[in-house]
Amino acid sequence: MLSDPSASQPGAGRPRQRSNVRLGQFLGSPKAMLGLTVVILFISSAVFAPVLAPYDPNALDIPSRLSGPTWAHWAGTDQLGRDTFSRLLFGGRVALKIAVIGVSVALSTGLILGMIAGYGPKWLDNLLLLAFDTVLAFPTIVLALATVALVGPSLELVLIIVIVSTVPGYARMARTATLALKNDEFILAERSLGASTPRILAHHVLPNVVGPLLILAAMDVPVVVTIEAGLSFLGLGVLPPTASWGTILNEGYLVINDAPFMVVAAGIPLVLTTLGFTFLGEALRDIFDPRMGRGRA
Amino acid sequence: MNAPHLDIRGLTVDFTTPTGPVHALRDVSFAVPQNSVTGIVGESGSGKSTVLWSILGLLSANARVRRGEILFEGEDMLRKGTDALRAARGQDMSVVFQNPMASQIPVLTYATQMRDILYRKRDLSAADKRTLAVEMMERVGIPDPARRIDQYPHHFSGGMRQRAGIAMALLPRPRLLLADEPTTALDVTMEAQVIHLIRDLATELETTVLVVSHNLGLIAEMCDHVVVMYAGEVVEAGPVRELFHNARHPYTRALLDCDPARITRKTRHLPVIEGSLPDLSAPPKGCIFAARCPKATLHCEAEAPSAQVSGGRHSVRCHFPVTEKSVPDAPRILDAPHATPPDAGDIPLLEVPYLNVRFRTMGPIRARLNGVADPFVDAVLDVGLTVRRGETLGLVGESGSGKTTLGRAILNLTRASAGSVRFEGREVRNLPERAFKPLRRDMAMMFQDAIGSLSPRKTVRALIAEPFVIHGAQDRDLDREAERLADLVQLPRAFLGRYPHELSGGQARRVGVARALALNPKLIIADEPTAGLDVSVQGDILNLMAELQREKGLSYLLITHNLPVVRHVSDRLAIMYMGRIVETGEAEAIFNQPGHPYTEALVRGVPQPDPDQRRTAPPLRGEVPSLMNRPRGCDFAARCPFAKDECRQIKPSQSTRADGRVIACHFPLI
Repeated sequence: MLSDPSASQPGAGRPRQRSNVRLGQFLGSPKAMLGLTVVILFISSAVFAPVLAPYDPNALDIPSRLSGPTWAHWAGTDQLGRDTFSRLLFGGRVALKIAVIGVSVALSTGLILGMIAGYGPKWLDNLLLLAFDTVLAFPTIVLALATVALVGPSLELVLIIVIVSTVPGYARMARTATLALKNDEFILAERSLGASTPRILAHHVLPNVVGPLLILAAMDVPVVVTIEAGLSFLGLGVLPPTASWGTILNEGYLVINDAPFMVVAAGIPLVLTTLGFTFLGEALRDIFDPRMGRGRA
Repeated sequence: MNAPHLDIRGLTVDFTTPTGPVHALRDVSFAVPQNSVTGIVGESGSGKSTVLWSILGLLSANARVRRGEILFEGEDMLRKGTDALRAARGQDMSVVFQNPMASQIPVLTYATQMRDILYRKRDLSAADKRTLAVEMMERVGIPDPARRIDQYPHHFSGGMRQRAGIAMALLPRPRLLLADEPTTALDVTMEAQVIHLIRDLATELETTVLVVSHNLGLIAEMCDHVVVMYAGEVVEAGPVRELFHNARHPYTRALLDCDPARITRKTRHLPVIEGSLPDLSAPPKGCIFAARCPKATLHCEAEAPSAQVSGGRHSVRCHFPVTEKSVPDAPRILDAPHATPPDAGDIPLLEVPYLNVRFRTMGPIRARLNGVADPFVDAVLDVGLTVRRGETLGLVGESGSGKTTLGRAILNLTRASAGSVRFEGREVRNLPERAFKPLRRDMAMMFQDAIGSLSPRKTVRALIAEPFVIHGAQDRDLDREAERLADLVQLPRAFLGRYPHELSGGQARRVGVARALALNPKLIIADEPTAGLDVSVQGDILNLMAELQREKGLSYLLITHNLPVVRHVSDRLAIMYMGRIVETGEAEAIFNQPGHPYTEALVRGVPQPDPDQRRTAPPLRGEVPSLMNRPRGCDFAARCPFAKDECRQIKPSQSTRADGRVIACHFPLI
C-alpha cells in the first residue's frame, strides 16, 4: 500500500519551475559554493599563472636553494633554488590541461560509444561492453607502466592513459541512460517521422543522457589530476624541468630531510583541487539525481 | 437517512510553490453518509485527489491546511497527532489505489504484505493472519487463494492485482474505504468487474466508500451520492439520481453533455467546454466557473455564489441554477448520417490482406535447453483490414489485444513476421528504412502518450518543424511552417517557445496532431488519441481531427479501447481480441447489433452515465488469457457466455455476411 500521494497533487512538483528550484538549491548549498570557489580559484590561477607568478618557474637561484617559506619565496625554493610557488602555479597549467583535454575527450568518446552500445543491436552492445569491462579491469598504474616502458614518458602519453582509463565509466553511464530511453514513445515518434539513427542519437538521445555525465566529469577531474601527479611522481609522466604537481612532489620527496616544507607545499593544491571538484560534483549530483540526493546536504 | 460518517467542513488547502501559493481547495464541504457509496467526480485539477489525501493526512510536504475540519465519526482528523492518524489509516480507513502496478510492493509476496497490514492486531497469530488474508483473497474473487497468496505481484495480471489491492484494503475491516480512480488503469471488461466487486463487498462488510473518479459512468453505476468538484470547489452535490437527471450547476450539465456515452445520436461534432481552468494561484473573486459558463452574468463575476440546498440533500453553488431535467434520451437505434461516403471502387489507401507479428520470448539456446519448441508469442495473428480514402477505421481492443503492435507493424516500426501491407497498391511490408522513408510523408502516427511522445528537450517550434528538416525541406521558412501548423491545430502561437513538460495533455496532443499533419499525409494512425484527456478536452481533439479529415480528405486508423468515442468518429470498426480480428463491419451496425459475443461484452461493458441503467452483473467474467498459451479452440471460448464444446475444440473461421460484416464465431449473435 505504498504510493506517493504527492504525484497526484497539484503544485507538488510543477516541472516548469524545477530549473529555478535547482539553481536555488545549488546556490544555497555550502558544499556547492565551497567547491565552486575552489574550482574557480584553480582555473584562474592556472590561466593567469604567467601574470601571477612572482618568478620564472625555471629560473635558477642556487644561493637561496632549499629555503623554507619566506617573504620572497612564499612556498620556499627547491634544490635548484627555483621558486616553488611559481612552479606550483605553472604546474596547475599542466593539471588543468590534462583535466580539460582528458576529461572532455573521455566524455565525448564515452558518450558516443555508450549511446551506440545502448541504441544499437544487441551483439554490438555485448562487444562494446566486453571492451569497456576489459579496460576497467586493468589497473591504471599497471597500464601506464607497461605503455611507458614501451614508448617512454611524455605529457601526451599521460593524456592517452587518462582518456583510455576513464572512457568506460562515461560509456557505461551513457549506455544505461540510452537503454532506458530507447523504448520511450518519443523515440518511436521520431522513427515514425523518418528520422535517421544518427539524427535520433544526436538530437533526441544526447540531450537527455548528457546531464549525469557532466556530473561524473566534474567528479572525474580530481581523479585525472591525481593520475597525472602520480605518474609524474613516478617519473612516468611529465618530464623535468617542466613544472607539474607530481614532479614537484617527487623533487620534494628527494630532499625531504633538508626541506620538508616542499612536499607539503606541493600537496596542498592537489588536495584542494581534489576536494573542490569532488564537492562540486557531489552537489551537482545531489541536485540532479533525486535518488541519491534525498536527505543530503 | 444515516448520520454522516465522514463530514468535511470548509476544507481549505494551499500548496506552496516557488511562484507563490496555489489555492488548491477552497471551502470544500460535504458529508459521506454511513454505509453508502459516495463519489467525487471532477476533471484533472479539480482537487478531488487532494480531498482524499487530506482525509488520510497524506498531503505532500508543500501543502498547508488553512481552514476546515474533517470529522470522521465525530473526530477531527486534522487535529489528530501523527500517531493517532497513523493508527487510523489502515485500521479505520484504507485506500484502493489507482495503479495496482505501482502501489504494491514488488519484492514481497501477497502473504507477507497482507500479514504486515495486520501488524496492529497483536492478539492474532501469524497463522490466523494468513487465514484471514486467504479468506479475503477468496472474497475478492481470486481463484485458488491459498496457493496464489504466496505469489508476488508480478505473477498477477492487471485485473487480479487490483482485486488483490481491494483485498488488502479491506483486510483490516476498515469502516471507511477510499478509492482513488480504482478502474482507470484497467480495461473495460475488468472495470465492470471491479465496480461490482467494490460495491458488493462494501455492502457485505458494511463499509462506507468514498470513490474519486473522472469517469461519469463509474460514478453513476457505483455511487449513492455524488459530489461534483471544479477547480478546488464543490459546485454541486446530491443523490446520484438527482445529480444525473436533475443537474443544476452549469458545469455539471456541461460535463454530462460532453460524455460521448450520453450522446445517443451519432455525431461528428462532440460538445466541449470552452476555455480552461482558472489559475488557482489567483482564483477569481466571483464564481469559479463564470469564465467558462455560457450563462454567466456580471453578478457571477463579481460575487461568489454560496451553496443553495434544495429538495433535501441536493446542493448547488450557482446564482442561476439550471431547472430543466437532464435525463438522457433512452438508448435507441442510432441513425448514421454519412457525410462523405467513401468511394468503394478505388484501390484502398491501405490494405492489409493478412499480417502476423511474432515476438521471441527467449533466446534460441535457452529455448533448446528448456525444451521449448516454439519460443515465440503471436502478438498479431492473421489480421486483415482495409482503410479507404477519407475513411476512419476504428480498431478496438483491450490492452494486450495487439492493436498497438499492429499499428506499429503497418508503419514499419515493428518487424512483421509474415503477411503483406499494401499502401496505395504497393507492397511496403518490411521495406528497408531507406526505401520506406518517402512513405513516411504519406503515413503519420499519433502516439498514445501525448506528452511522452514529444522529445523532452525540444521546443514546440522545433518539434513541429522537425518533419520538414527530416524530409529535406529546409528551403521552407520553418518558423512560418510552425506557425501555420500551430494555427491549423488551434494551438496559440505563444506555445511555440515552450517545452513539452510545460504543456497540458490537450495542448501536447495538438502538437502531436501538428507533427502528424506537417507533411500532408494521406493516412494517420492514431493510437489512443484521447487517452489521458479530460472529457471536456477530448471532444476538442476529436472535432479537430474530424474537421481536418473533411478539409484534407485524410484517412484515419483509430486505435482505441474507448467505445463511446470510437462510435462517434468511425465509419467502420474492427474488433481485436488476442491478436485476431473477431469482427469487422460498419460502426453503427456493430453498435446496434454486435455479432461476436466479445463485441457485445465490450459494447455493454461501458458503464452508462445514467443511474437508471445500472447493470446487475458485469457482462463478462474472467480475464484475457496469456498469449503464451493460446486456447486450442476459439480464443474467447473461456470467457464466452455462449461457448459450447465445439468452441473449445475448433478455431472459428471468418464468415462474411450480406451487409459486409465479417465475424469469426461459430455461433454469432446475428
